[in-house]
Amino acid sequence: MDTKLRKVLALLLVFALVTVFAIGCAAEEEEPVDDGVEAPVSDVKAAMVTDVGGLGDKTFNDGTYEGLKRAERELGVEIRAIESSEIADYEPNIDQLANAGFDVIFTVGFLMTDTTIKKAPDYPDVAFGGIDQFFEEPPDNAVGLLFNEHEGAYLAGVVAGLGTLDQDLDDRINDDNVIAFIGGMDIPPVEKFEAGFIAGARSVNPDVEVVALYAGTFEDQAKGKELALSAIDQGADIVFAAAGLTGLGSITACQERGALFIGVDVDQYFSVPGSGDVMLTSAMKSLEVAVFETIKSVVDGTFVGGQNRFFGLADDGVGLAPFHEFEDAVSQEIRDAVEEARQNVLDGTVTVPPTRAEL
Amino acid sequence: MTESMHEMTIRRLLAIVRELAVPIVSVVIAMVIGSIIMLISGFDPVAAFSALLKGSFGGGRQIGETMLRATPLMFTGLAVAYGFRAGLFNIGAEGQLFMGGLSAAWLGIVLAGLPRPLNIVLMILAGAAIGAAWAFIPALLKARVGAHEVITTMMFTYIGRYIVSWLVTGPLKAPGQIPQTDVLPTESTLPKLHEVTAFLPISRAHLGFAIAVVLAMFVWWVLKYTSLGYESRAVGYNPWASETGGISVSATTVKALCISGALAGLAGVTEVMGVHLRLFDQFSPGFGFTGIAVALLAKNNPIGVIAAAILFGALSAGGGTMQLEAEVPQKVIFVIQALIIFLVAAEQIARWIIGRASREGVEHAG
Repeated sequence: MDTKLRKVLALLLVFALVTVFAIGCAAEEEEPVDDGVEAPVSDVKAAMVTDVGGLGDKTFNDGTYEGLKRAERELGVEIRAIESSEIADYEPNIDQLANAGFDVIFTVGFLMTDTTIKKAPDYPDVAFGGIDQFFEEPPDNAVGLLFNEHEGAYLAGVVAGLGTLDQDLDDRINDDNVIAFIGGMDIPPVEKFEAGFIAGARSVNPDVEVVALYAGTFEDQAKGKELALSAIDQGADIVFAAAGLTGLGSITACQERGALFIGVDVDQYFSVPGSGDVMLTSAMKSLEVAVFETIKSVVDGTFVGGQNRFFGLADDGVGLAPFHEFEDAVSQEIRDAVEEARQNVLDGTVTVPPTRAEL
Repeated sequence: MTESMHEMTIRRLLAIVRELAVPIVSVVIAMVIGSIIMLISGFDPVAAFSALLKGSFGGGRQIGETMLRATPLMFTGLAVAYGFRAGLFNIGAEGQLFMGGLSAAWLGIVLAGLPRPLNIVLMILAGAAIGAAWAFIPALLKARVGAHEVITTMMFTYIGRYIVSWLVTGPLKAPGQIPQTDVLPTESTLPKLHEVTAFLPISRAHLGFAIAVVLAMFVWWVLKYTSLGYESRAVGYNPWASETGGISVSATTVKALCISGALAGLAGVTEVMGVHLRLFDQFSPGFGFTGIAVALLAKNNPIGVIAAAILFGALSAGGGTMQLEAEVPQKVIFVIQALIIFLVAAEQIARWIIGRASREGVEHAG
């Protein structure tokens, strides 16, 4: 009797699990939006191979997919995303898409740089876009799509540099002239954020002290929290984290210790629910723009491979997110300074340094 | 006389069937539940599984992909299985794997210019040795002061991973933007299988697969027919009886965990020498941990590890085709894998814990 009861319970448990999984899977499906506009049609097929983070990472895989979706909407191209669950998947996934007749394939993340260089020559008729990939010798049919992260971070630095002096901004702003930068791994794209942030802050507040700390990982929230707490203990009242999931821990630290936070890559006010009370703004990079522009060039027949393209402030590749809950608190002085900094970068009066060495 | 032999054969066959029942039933149930999930979410399970099959066994290249992905899992599966047989849970195979990969990435450059067979042998031996060394300190702590290997091997995994992380971003970093080591010269790499055997179709599968299969058979033989294997199993079954019977439990524990570490180290060596040809931070997606699932599914039988690793390899290799042709998201593969692990582990883990708990109970009572 006992075993029978246990079996029934086990079965029930399994079905409960199934239901939960099913709901989880179903929730990912999106309803197609019917806006009544005649959909354009193109015979171009565009696809992406995600890195191991997969879709739903709220940063570059999702950002690339946003660009594909926009191309589907506005250009009528057929789109497809294939997720990689391990690095060994990169090559076969590219092969599969190329053999299935896709005209443009995006490979996402700098870890795929080597694979893209290796595979592009095998499929000369396919256009490759390498997100966050710098090609030292770009294949003729591949373009490295990179971002001037430092330009977006520069604007965030201006906000933080003035914000830490402005006690009217928020009662969490202290007397210390200290702000903080939390990095994931110390690699060039992250260093660009750090250098731009520091340059921006110093441009409006030359004496500001920037505590810069690296977690060594993009995936450790506890580490992100620990580093942010130590920065706050050193007097920082505004924390900027370019650290992927690690940065989520820094947000928690700001909420617990009373500091403000600046997000990264996307508008984290939306992507991190419940962070609005500390989210001053975000330094965004728009993969959507880079991906869409590349697909459009393939559709128009103007695609030029064999190069690296940098998307910056000028082409909306990077930018600053709205202040959201701080919209009323942010002073006109800060807004004017951000606008002036943007103009200075755009017209070349200011060249934002991409490395610490050039600060 | 003949009748009793006949009976024995039947009994033996029945025993094998009984052994195979749990894993096979688990896999089937996992696929059925996976199908139900797909149906509820609006996907076609028949299309999904036929795409999965096509992507993993549908041709020479696909079979090669399956072999490629099964290779590291065979090594880590063997590592964990050997530990389990000696009553040890080597949860730190991932760390030993990282150290093996590190030694191959470093040694492969140092040995540049020497003959390829020599390099392959040296790099494999070195990787096994450093894997064993990485397990040696936890083994010693276990044998001397009783520190639990689940904690210590796990902690050593962190140490190993961070050492690799530091080396590839610093001292061993190749020029360029990406934190990774230099590419190994050809003479320090494992040949592809189709290069050594003329009749195999072109694929990415490398010699590591053959090494893993041979090693699995060797480990099976060691466990079954050598005094080393006998001692390991005896200690796994009942350390007190073994000690009374004249087996040194602490020596056997150290040996078993080091052998486990050596096997795990080889996973890192063959991944570096056969697949990536260099080392970087994320070169293993957790093969050491998937190895636990492989060992559980194989019920710690080295021959079973071959089959279990190939199953997991096929799930991984077929995922891309399943996404492209059946438009089923990769996450469904994870769900099926998780269900297999869950269903097998639910039985095995429980059994292991019970065995362990009763043993400790005996110790306290004694």
